Amino acid sequence: MKEVNKQFFDLQSVVNETKIRLCLDCGKCTVVCPVARYDPGFNPRLIVQDALKRNSHGPVDENIWYCIGCNMCMERCNYNVKFTDFIRFMRYNALSQGTEVKCNHSGIPHATMHMMANRDIKQHRLKWIPADIMVKEQCQTAFFVGCAPYFDVIFNDLNVKTVEGTKGTLRLLNHADIPFTLLHNERCCGRDLLLLGDTEEFLALAQANLDEFSAKGIKEIITNCPECYYTLKVGYPRFLKNWNIVVRHATELLTPLTENGQLVLGKLSRKVTYHDPCALGRYSRIFKQPRGILDSIKGLEVVEMTDNREKALCCGANPWAYCGLVNKQIQKERLAQAKATGADILVTGCPKCQIHLTCAQKNFEDGDVCRIEIQDLFHLAAQSLSPQEEN
Amino acid sequence: MNPEILVFSCNWDGWSCIESAVSSGLSYPPSVKIVRVGCLSRIHAGLILKALDLGAGGVMLLGCEQGRCHFGSNSDCVTPEYEKAQDILELLGMDKSRLTLLRLPAFEGHKFVTKVAKLIKEVKQLSTSGSPKEVGGESVSLQ
Repeated sequence: MKEVNKQFFDLQSVVNETKIRLCLDCGKCTVVCPVARYDPGFNPRLIVQDALKRNSHGPVDENIWYCIGCNMCMERCNYNVKFTDFIRFMRYNALSQGTEVKCNHSGIPHATMHMMANRDIKQHRLKWIPADIMVKEQCQTAFFVGCAPYFDVIFNDLNVKTVEGTKGTLRLLNHADIPFTLLHNERCCGRDLLLLGDTEEFLALAQANLDEFSAKGIKEIITNCPECYYTLKVGYPRFLKNWNIVVRHATELLTPLTENGQLVLGKLSRKVTYHDPCALGRYSRIFKQPRGILDSIKGLEVVEMTDNREKALCCGANPWAYCGLVNKQIQKERLAQAKATGADILVTGCPKCQIHLTCAQKNFEDGDVCRIEIQDLFHLAAQSLSPQEEN
Repeated sequence: MNPEILVFSCNWDGWSCIESAVSSGLSYPPSVKIVRVGCLSRIHAGLILKALDLGAGGVMLLGCEQGRCHFGSNSDCVTPEYEKAQDILELLGMDKSRLTLLRLPAFEGHKFVTKVAKLIKEVKQLSTSGSPKEVGGESVSLQ
């Protein structure tokens, strides 16, 4: 373990930073926690109490792995106690003690991230780009694709096409005359490793990405993935020196243009409901912009689920680990909420939400409750531009 | 130095090939490590990638010929996982030839030894893309 990490991750500084001592034992976090709703043994308040009592000694509390990091607890906490950051610290500690993480999806996402972090690779990650999308060779603005090309291979049995969302975003950027370049050798942003407490590997990915950006002279990054957005915008400046790149979510650029009439979207006669991804909503406070894009599509009827914006229910998944029945129950509840709105399509801005919710649909065979089409926000918006592609 | 090769061998025809090679006095380099599994359908893309992640230069899946699986299903299960692992290696820019799926009839020790030697030769010739980074130098620092 590197010395710098030890300093950064000692219990006292984490306690101060996460304001964990301000916890008043009021239990509001537990009331709103979606995991606690289905797993009575999971209790954020007690996890904290137990950890402080043991001063990070003794056996690892198994419960720390079941937090889905949706940040609902922090949304409700009157004192802004950063529970999810504290969980991350405890996971980091557990990994340092040699705990093995129980991976889902046969550990492919983790193995892939580790190889990206530790190997001198030259990826072939941009083969999916269709001829109609204009990409600049040289540009100070880069579009960060994220892991969508990998997801489509890893989850081919679910038949999710997350790369369609990326294509949609690029088409919208082309349509709005926003120039960008694509990087042939960008790595995963590393958010899942960070959430899982694997800070070493996260730092290796972050450094590899920073080197790639510096080599290409990138000053600004646009991305459509909420997780990449949050990690690049908030995570990287915190962990990396010399990080001075502006990071923007595609909706931040596109929505103002739709409002002032510079970007005109087409028509789609569908009824949709928008699912707020945690990383975009509660973490980054971007609620209005994605809805702005949907509103600018003519003929599109947008309805809200019972839990929306700050209160939106998470898609229920851990960083590709410890996914179980509780997670499936959360996903089922979310899909049922979407279905109850009467919408034809659940629209989400996050490729991971798309994967997790589709996975839940595969697991529940019980009739109609969870059956709803799931689509990416940008894919849908780009479809409105070319009606012939509309299915 | 020979690269490390990990062989996932099924317990039946695959394993019989290795036993036959050993009993007929054929030898293969000590850098070849063999993991015996009940059936190749036990092996999924995650395990293959993890082997490569942990430093194996190549991975061989050794199993029964099509239609000769002891449990009747290995070809259905292992092929999609093998293809998935190959697709991910392709995206990562690592050579697909690091991974090979070999189906042999029972007791073909000679063929096993020939194929494993071929895999070692191929892995040796590969470009450096995908090899582990040099450890050392300046470590990543935190603010």
